[in-house]
Amino acid sequence: MIRFLIRRAPSVLLVLFATSVIAFLLPRLVPGDPAAAVAGPDASAETIAAIRADLGLDQPLVGQYFNWMGGLFTGDLGQSLRFNRPVAELIGDRLASTLELALLAGLFLVVFGIGLGVLAGSVRARWARVLVEGTNTGLLAAPPFLVGLLFILVFGVFFRVLPTSGEVSVLDDPEIGIQYLVLPALALALPMSAGVARLVQTRMLAIRQEEFIDLAVSKGVPPRRISQRHVLRNSLGPAVVAIGIRFGDLLAGAVVIEAIFARYGLGQLAVSGAQSADYTVVQVLIVFAVFIAVIGQLLTEIVLAALDPRVRLG
Amino acid sequence: MTKAIDTSTNGPGDLPEDPGSGPVPARAGRRKRTGGDAWSRYASALSTPKGLTAAILLVLLIGVALLAPVLFPGGYDQQARGALAGPSAQHWLGTDEFGRDILTRTVYGLRTDLSLILLAVPVAMVIGTALGLSGYLSKTLGSVTQRLLDIILGFPGLILGIMIVLVIGTGWLALFLAIVVAGLPGFGRLARAGLLGEEQREYVMAARVLGVKKSTVMTRHILPNVVDPLLVQASVFMVVAIFIEAGLSIVGLGINPPNPSLGAMLNVGARYVQSLPTYVIGPGVLLLLLALAFTLLSDALNQVANRR
Repeated sequence: MIRFLIRRAPSVLLVLFATSVIAFLLPRLVPGDPAAAVAGPDASAETIAAIRADLGLDQPLVGQYFNWMGGLFTGDLGQSLRFNRPVAELIGDRLASTLELALLAGLFLVVFGIGLGVLAGSVRARWARVLVEGTNTGLLAAPPFLVGLLFILVFGVFFRVLPTSGEVSVLDDPEIGIQYLVLPALALALPMSAGVARLVQTRMLAIRQEEFIDLAVSKGVPPRRISQRHVLRNSLGPAVVAIGIRFGDLLAGAVVIEAIFARYGLGQLAVSGAQSADYTVVQVLIVFAVFIAVIGQLLTEIVLAALDPRVRLG
Repeated sequence: MTKAIDTSTNGPGDLPEDPGSGPVPARAGRRKRTGGDAWSRYASALSTPKGLTAAILLVLLIGVALLAPVLFPGGYDQQARGALAGPSAQHWLGTDEFGRDILTRTVYGLRTDLSLILLAVPVAMVIGTALGLSGYLSKTLGSVTQRLLDIILGFPGLILGIMIVLVIGTGWLALFLAIVVAGLPGFGRLARAGLLGEEQREYVMAARVLGVKKSTVMTRHILPNVVDPLLVQASVFMVVAIFIEAGLSIVGLGINPPNPSLGAMLNVGARYVQSLPTYVIGPGVLLLLLALAFTLLSDALNQVANRR
């Protein structure tokens, strides 16, 4: 495991380094003077100069980068240009909202992805197969925001059983908070879980053709045990990979879902930051998002090795 | 097996066509035939049920979008009396918060979406393919571009969009760039996979041995043999591009108002979903139809590509 991590370190670090450089350079790529863009059209020369100094734009580029990176490592994420508050504080305020959403969506992704896949891979009755496949194909074609809008139409207009707008923290009030969370999390997770389900299903059907299944059947292993121990376990590898690579999509999807369901999470923070040229906030969020996505992929490989003894990390 | 036979018409058969090594009339005749083959092959994709449905849908959607100024001569900014009025004989989908006809704006929004994807996806395809094939010219160039594409792939589509908006601000250009950049890795990797597959084949080596320039081998011999999966990918990516536009517009980073796009309509419409569901349903349905058309088209192209 340690050996594996050391071996993977260069490529992981390269991606993180590249991301940090790109995020760092963004404000400096803005045509014209980024400080003037931040200050707005009516700002005086002194204000612009002050913002230049705040952004560190008056220092040499490499020095600026190392200052900024040093800040990221020590928890000093800088100051928001729009809110005039530390970025760390802004992120701290919104973190719980997005975390709740991502965790529940992640749970749904695993449950529905693998559940639907196993169902589609094991049902025999024709009508059931058509039903499961149909659901799956429909979901596969729909992006999260369309499912979200559909939910808002159905639950906001016709069956008003669950709230479709706003949020209540699960930590403050678990019972109400979950109600606000269910629809956004489902909208985020269902389309992605269809992709996972499709993989599990194809894999299960392929595994059933393998010779070791024939051997197990001829040995007299009960069908249930064949399904669980022989087919299912061998089919989960691709599912784990598919779930792992969707970590980043989950975060990106959360941005849209938050907008549709009027939740104030990190996605909304990033969007308002991009709209109002609040560079310092967006820079940190970009590095943060890519970091999470990279960690997700590393975890994927570790889980994969745990599932399949033939895959050795190292 | 059929693939091997087919490449023989494009591959070694092409060899005498290189400058100075074959009679000119034969070259012209052969080129014409292979070109015609490719076209009729793609045309046969449209005769499958899926391809036909896709073609009809696309002709309808593009036709309506092109005819928008004729169908709705008032333009998308014309205001009527009532704001947020429900569907009526004059306003089939009702009017928006400024009293503008929602159906008109939806159709003009479709125009915006189509203008975006029909320009951005081919651009992404050309640049991505060039990046992917660049590995044939030099190994270093190849691995550098692959690293570059890996890094782009590390950013989820919407985050790329946010970064681009941060630099150049919201608008058509930001959406265009977001779609192009997001598309590069897909095309680049497919082109490289094709390149790695073809590079070692005899006809490529033969061309090299005969002294054909690397760049000519790349464009004339390798490219035609990797173009099928790239076209399928282009069709698949059209759907992704539609959803990138919609996603960025829904969060408010898309086309600047008052210009409509399907995503921008959804952005505002979502606020009025309780009182005026048609505001969301109209653009939502068009978005789905557009996605459906390109999905069916990619399926049909895929079938044809696999048949060879």
